[in-house]
Amino acid sequence: MKELIQSLDVREVSAQEIVQHHLEEIAQHDPGIHAFITVDQEGALRQADDADRRRAQGQALSPFDGIPIAVKDNISTKGLRTTCGSRMLEDYVPLFDATVISRLRRAGLVLVGKTNLDEFAMGSSTEYSAFGVTHNPHDHSRVPGGSSGGSAAAVAAGEVPWSLGTDTGGSIRQPASFCGVVGLKPTYGWVSRYGVVALAPSLDQVGPMAKRVEDAAALFALIAGNDPRDATSAKAPSFQVPAWDPEVLRDLRVGVPEEFFSAGLDSQVEHAVRGCLRQLEDQGAVLQPLSLATNAYAIDTYLTLVTAEASSCLARYDGVRYGKRVEAEDSNTMFAKSRSAGFGSEVKRRIMLGTYVLSANHYEAYYEQAQKVRTLIKEDVLDALSQVDVIITPTTPTAAFQIGAKRDPLEMYLSDLFTAMANLSGIPALSVPCGLNSHGLPMGIQIMGGNFSEALLFQVGYMIEQGVEGSARHGQL
Amino acid sequence: MIDRHDVMRMARLARLELSEEEIDQYQEDLMRFLRSGQKLQQVDVAEVEGTSHAVHVAHELRPDQVGTSLRQEAVLSLGPRVEQGFFRVPRIVEGQE
Repeated sequence: MKELIQSLDVREVSAQEIVQHHLEEIAQHDPGIHAFITVDQEGALRQADDADRRRAQGQALSPFDGIPIAVKDNISTKGLRTTCGSRMLEDYVPLFDATVISRLRRAGLVLVGKTNLDEFAMGSSTEYSAFGVTHNPHDHSRVPGGSSGGSAAAVAAGEVPWSLGTDTGGSIRQPASFCGVVGLKPTYGWVSRYGVVALAPSLDQVGPMAKRVEDAAALFALIAGNDPRDATSAKAPSFQVPAWDPEVLRDLRVGVPEEFFSAGLDSQVEHAVRGCLRQLEDQGAVLQPLSLATNAYAIDTYLTLVTAEASSCLARYDGVRYGKRVEAEDSNTMFAKSRSAGFGSEVKRRIMLGTYVLSANHYEAYYEQAQKVRTLIKEDVLDALSQVDVIITPTTPTAAFQIGAKRDPLEMYLSDLFTAMANLSGIPALSVPCGLNSHGLPMGIQIMGGNFSEALLFQVGYMIEQGVEGSARHGQL
Repeated sequence: MIDRHDVMRMARLARLELSEEEIDQYQEDLMRFLRSGQKLQQVDVAEVEGTSHAVHVAHELRPDQVGTSLRQEAVLSLGPRVEQGFFRVPRIVEGQE
């Protein structure tokens, strides 16, 4: 990215050429990967032209003016179809930009297209998209992870230099880990959710994905900040990209929760993560074993809350104001027929589960109980973070699995085993590539910290990145 | 225990029309989901307040100022069926002609 910006600055290349190059990469690789649902070739070239004109007049909007980006297709883009990976919204063209999109446009970024996702972000493999499966660029027979699988794959394949995803239980970090890229789930509230199609509003966050930690940090700086249009937006200042100083590791207290290194963890993932931990220790960090016992409840708590919130959020798709409609004699039948035709099976499953846990006889036993257990999980995490500066774990228990390998929805839900805790407690978590396994598949390491500690997470992630050899960092693509 | 009747009631509440196979499938999924979630029931939460949002945010009133909003025609242009400036839906109130 640095080189791209420098060559733009000295007018060695134009934004047109950069965007054209990435459009060619998409044309070449995407038929085999299918990271994109929509590519806006014409719009991207027009935006690049505008950027070049601004640069020629010395009026660049930011250092990134003219740099292309792709965005997950559940983030509203004015005038550009936003499907959420669903037949329900296959023709939906938003009338407004999400706040994160307005911020990107204000910096002059060129939006080249919208990336594939599990329908309404419900899934961990991007197999549940109504627009087809996305393939892992490292091995086309494997999933890219999900639900931000398209955003991760597009970056890994070099189709775009960076992208935006959304993360409700691990949907940025797990695909980042599977595709060998960097991905951040920010502190809840630091990035506006305005215009982001809701899956579970108490857990959803938008975050950056990029090949390098520095680029993810730069992109995060563009999107973070208070937004009066989002009632849950934090009153936080803007984010400043930190200095990349190895001194940050001196006496840094790194918590290593034993529960994340127990049965079920792939031995190669464990080896890679422990190797990174040893390197941090060699550079001055102090490893502290600790316990996060409540992670045993994280998946069930997460599932109860996410299905409840999703069933409520998805009530708005009724065939009246936008989206798919199937006509019927009376309104209730029209609603039911429209929804049944528009939603895929995983979305219906989660709506059914969510409706059950919110229904009159079950609300206290399931939904309220899960909200209370969430409090215990949050207290457990905050207590751990009062003793250490960061907590480091594997991002996922295994590397990318085969397409079609997880037919059982309950097994698929376990993909979020190491990631859901950060969403439930609100804290930020960063996934950084930490090496390749014997199949040449990327593996990821997760760094969690206290609320608004993103600068520290990026700094630690940067040091880990420096320690992982170039070719092992992202794989040979 | 969840029977087909429960599944159909949930579908009605959720405004979903399910096929016979879907009813069977979701009956099984619901039971497995609840079984797996049983360990949550055993957690002692007697003195615990629920968390509804990860980070506490106090809701603030915004200044009551007129701003720009979306034009009516633009919003209506998204509607699957629109008539005379309204979204059209099938009859809701019965027996009035």
